[in-house]
Amino acid sequence: MKLLRDIGLLYKRKLMETLRNPIYIVMSMLTPVLYLILFSPLLNKLVGTGGTRSVLDLFVPGLLVIVAFFNGLFVGYGIIDEIRNGVIERFRATPTSRFAILAGPVLRDTTNVLVIVTLFTLVSVPFGFRPDPVGWLVLLVIISMLIITTASFGYALGLILKEEDRLSPIVQGVNLPILLLSGVLLPMELAPTWLQVLAHFNPVYYSVEAARVLCAGTIWDAKVGYAFLFMVPLTVLVVAWATRAVRSVVA
Amino acid sequence: MPDAVVVTEDLKKYFPSRNGPVKAVDGVNLEVFPGEIFGFLGPNGAGKTTTLRILTTLVKADSGAATIAGFDVLREPGDVRRNIGYVGQAGGADRPATGRENLILQGRLYDMTLQQAKERAAELIAALDLTEFADRIAHTYSGGQLRRLDVALGIMHRPKVLFLDEPTTGLDPQNRANLWIQIGKLRDMGVTVFLTTHYLEEADTLSDRLAIMDHGKIVAEGTPTELKKLVAGDTISVGLMDDRKNAAIAALLAQKPYVRDFTVDDCHLRIVVEEGSKVMPELLRLFDQESIEVATITLAVPTLDDVFLKQTGRTLRDTESAGGEQG
Ligand SMILES: Nc1ncnc2c1ncn2[C@@H]1O[C@H](COP(=O)(O)OP(=O)(O)O)[C@@H](O)[C@H]1O
Ligand SMILES: [Mg+2]
Repeated sequence: MKLLRDIGLLYKRKLMETLRNPIYIVMSMLTPVLYLILFSPLLNKLVGTGGTRSVLDLFVPGLLVIVAFFNGLFVGYGIIDEIRNGVIERFRATPTSRFAILAGPVLRDTTNVLVIVTLFTLVSVPFGFRPDPVGWLVLLVIISMLIITTASFGYALGLILKEEDRLSPIVQGVNLPILLLSGVLLPMELAPTWLQVLAHFNPVYYSVEAARVLCAGTIWDAKVGYAFLFMVPLTVLVVAWATRAVRSVVA
Repeated sequence: MPDAVVVTEDLKKYFPSRNGPVKAVDGVNLEVFPGEIFGFLGPNGAGKTTTLRILTTLVKADSGAATIAGFDVLREPGDVRRNIGYVGQAGGADRPATGRENLILQGRLYDMTLQQAKERAAELIAALDLTEFADRIAHTYSGGQLRRLDVALGIMHRPKVLFLDEPTTGLDPQNRANLWIQIGKLRDMGVTVFLTTHYLEEADTLSDRLAIMDHGKIVAEGTPTELKKLVAGDTISVGLMDDRKNAAIAALLAQKPYVRDFTVDDCHLRIVVEEGSKVMPELLRLFDQESIEVATITLAVPTLDDVFLKQTGRTLRDTESAGGEQG
């Protein structure tokens, strides 16, 4: 089928880019590894280990989610480059579906994130992180939805704004509140009520909550249910919006 | 005449802006016939790119209609896309990939099999002289090399018509001349080419027929020769050794049917004729018979800029500095 084949072709184009420049994967590992080494020891003191579970079992699942979020949010810069070089316009003048033009790169970003998340999980094990294998696999599904959503969002922003100077304030403006309200750095339980209420509007918050219970081995949990309930429609909506942006962009 | 490949009817596209709508395309009617190179000449901001984007289904017109190879750009965008090649102002080559990879992907997006795409890519690499750099990452290409790759991408699937938007903008004279040769080859391959440019020489050299556009409207259309005939004619300037025979010369020139207009003052003759290159030898012979001594003689043929001037009251070279690169 043409649609699937075109998605495959455009996916391969972007994947080749990563394979030619694998340093990108290493760079993306840097932030979470620094958090692991330089930040998680602080949590040890603050939260206390609370029994046999390492504090890493609380902290690392959230980091995995944040890695997906970060990697997606910044893709807009890449597509601005491609708009400027006429690549997107060239594809738009071919019979390729507009959805494939979006899906190829998004699937590449998803692949990158899954590789980074897997590598980072492996790096965390010697530090004491012990995720439940099945729960971890379910988490990968949530993470995939999150990266698909944020990457589509990032591309749509790039397509609409077309200039780095206009993209940066929005990306930064979204980035920090989402991170602070995600409960990754410190559990939201420590927050006052109004902050907790605010956090419930944050898709990353649901994913982080689900990630913790999943890595602890609980799969049938309301938090996991909420994550899916929130992420599935959000993914569909954002992908549809981004596809529209591909359709209507004027370089 | 064969059926036109491109037909537009009263195309219009206005963009909203703070100072009222910008009439980017304001009632464009044109036809492009199979096998010709059709030039679209106009200053920056004339509406060339917007017209091309409408014809290539990238932008929707506000009103009017256009068909490409018989397909309506609005109602049958899929069929239009299959029949056209498009090389935008920005080029379109994917920089992190090699030229060959770019070409093969392009072919595949037009439903070629991998084998077909590889063969066609090899064919174009040879035909458009890309061999030397085809397997290097496009990041490393010079401006001229990138442009040649862009053109190859545009004709990868053997489109009925190729749209080239400002193909040589930003190239140095040598690379520009080289690309002109490559575009000339397209004519030999039988590709119909629709190109835009704001370079007079380019429109003049490359186009079989051209339209001059200004402020969203077509102000003149025809072959370069026809267009130049809109202007007064060729001008022959003659410097004389002395002015003693001026009266006789005036009488003589007034009798000649091929002289449209002339002025004589001091030792200077200005003669306007239909076709200067044919008249010049005859004039020289005439002066010789009459023992009129000629010091210098030069022929100035009208340029497309003269045509633009006549139709718009401005010259293209003037508008050059005024309008910035936009769109
Ligand atoms: N996407 C757009 N939004 C607003 N105005 C535009 C857009 N594209 C083009 N224009 C305006 O339309 C006019 C024609 O532009 P364009 O078609 O790019 O001209 P040309 O290619 O001849 O230089 C210009 O005034 C330009 O600023
Ligand atoms: Mg233009």
